[in-house]
Amino acid sequence: MAYSEKVIDHYNNPRNMGSLPKDDKTVGTGIVGAPECGDVMKLQIKVENDRIVDAKFKTFGCGSAIASSSLATEWLKGRTVDEAYTIKNTDIVQELNLPPVKIHCSVLAEDAIKAALQDYKKKASAGEALGEKATVQAK
Amino acid sequence: MASVVAMPVVSRGAGTGRAPMEISRRELPLARSMCWHCQSDIGGEYFCNQCVKVQPLSKDLDYFSCFGLPRKLTIDTARLETKFYELSRVFHPDFFEGKSEMERAVSLANSATLNQAYRTLKDPILRVEYLLRLEAGAAKDIPGKAPADLFEAILEMQEHLEEFQAAKSQGDASSAARAGDLLRKARKTLEAKRAALENRLAELFQIWDKLAEKHALDETQTAAKEGTLKEMRDLLSERTYVMNMLQNLKEALV
Repeated sequence: MAYSEKVIDHYNNPRNMGSLPKDDKTVGTGIVGAPECGDVMKLQIKVENDRIVDAKFKTFGCGSAIASSSLATEWLKGRTVDEAYTIKNTDIVQELNLPPVKIHCSVLAEDAIKAALQDYKKKASAGEALGEKATVQAK
Repeated sequence: MASVVAMPVVSRGAGTGRAPMEISRRELPLARSMCWHCQSDIGGEYFCNQCVKVQPLSKDLDYFSCFGLPRKLTIDTARLETKFYELSRVFHPDFFEGKSEMERAVSLANSATLNQAYRTLKDPILRVEYLLRLEAGAAKDIPGKAPADLFEAILEMQEHLEEFQAAKSQGDASSAARAGDLLRKARKTLEAKRAALENRLAELFQIWDKLAEKHALDETQTAAKEGTLKEMRDLLSERTYVMNMLQNLKEALV
């Protein structure tokens, strides 16, 4: 199966590969997997003043899964948390020109984004409950 | 084949009289109740009683009933095999050479269904995956639990794998050896995990079969069935991750 040029580019030069400190309160981590193919994706965001200032990913899977998560981190940077929720797997499919058999890779990326956002929100609201919101926001 | 052709054509009494015997003889459901060729009611087993043309199997046929097996996970493989050969002889395309296009197509399609059914039931993993699709019901909509620890382990292993490959391509023998050791250790852990998953799966096969034997469908029974299906599904997806990783390790560590 032939990959599109954009997939190959992301695969050869993945953007934002790596990790962020998982226990940092400003970092949200999403780890998801696709039981059909055994791919695993980790996506992390760092949020300051409700804006995503950094995003990293690590993906164990095929070229399309790597490209989808790489693209997702590019798109996430600079967005607000609410804006990040609007990223849809169909946008990824379109941008990377993914064939039908690889659509689940983009779904995985969307799931990873949602999981990371969810994790960040959970941490933020836990911090709020402990009266730590001020410190988090001041960082 | 000869036996099929020689099958006595049951004489039809006037009107509707179809003996129950005729129906029960057919084990596999057919696609329609009327012969595609002569439009008469199909009395015989897979072949029209009137014109002796082969009949297409129903698309809704489930693989267990295909071989007359109960919907259980421990199966009588000898029976599966015997039945498979028996039915293969009935539908084999070789016996339909020189017949009409429709008959050849039906024989081909029926043979394909049979082969697929046999392959699926023969392999325990494919068998349980198939059963899960059949029995999906309510369990299908409950999202499976993601094995978070396993994901972490896989991503960590992925890192070692990358280190290993980088060290090898740079000719750094000592780093490659170190990463290689880590990977071999990881492979042992994964092999153990795989064995544990498959053992539990085997236990669940027994549990399912016991449940399948009971016919009373009260609430506890239904809940027990769903719980078993769900656990099997989670185990199977975990196994997919493990197998995927093992395959990658195998390729890297040759």
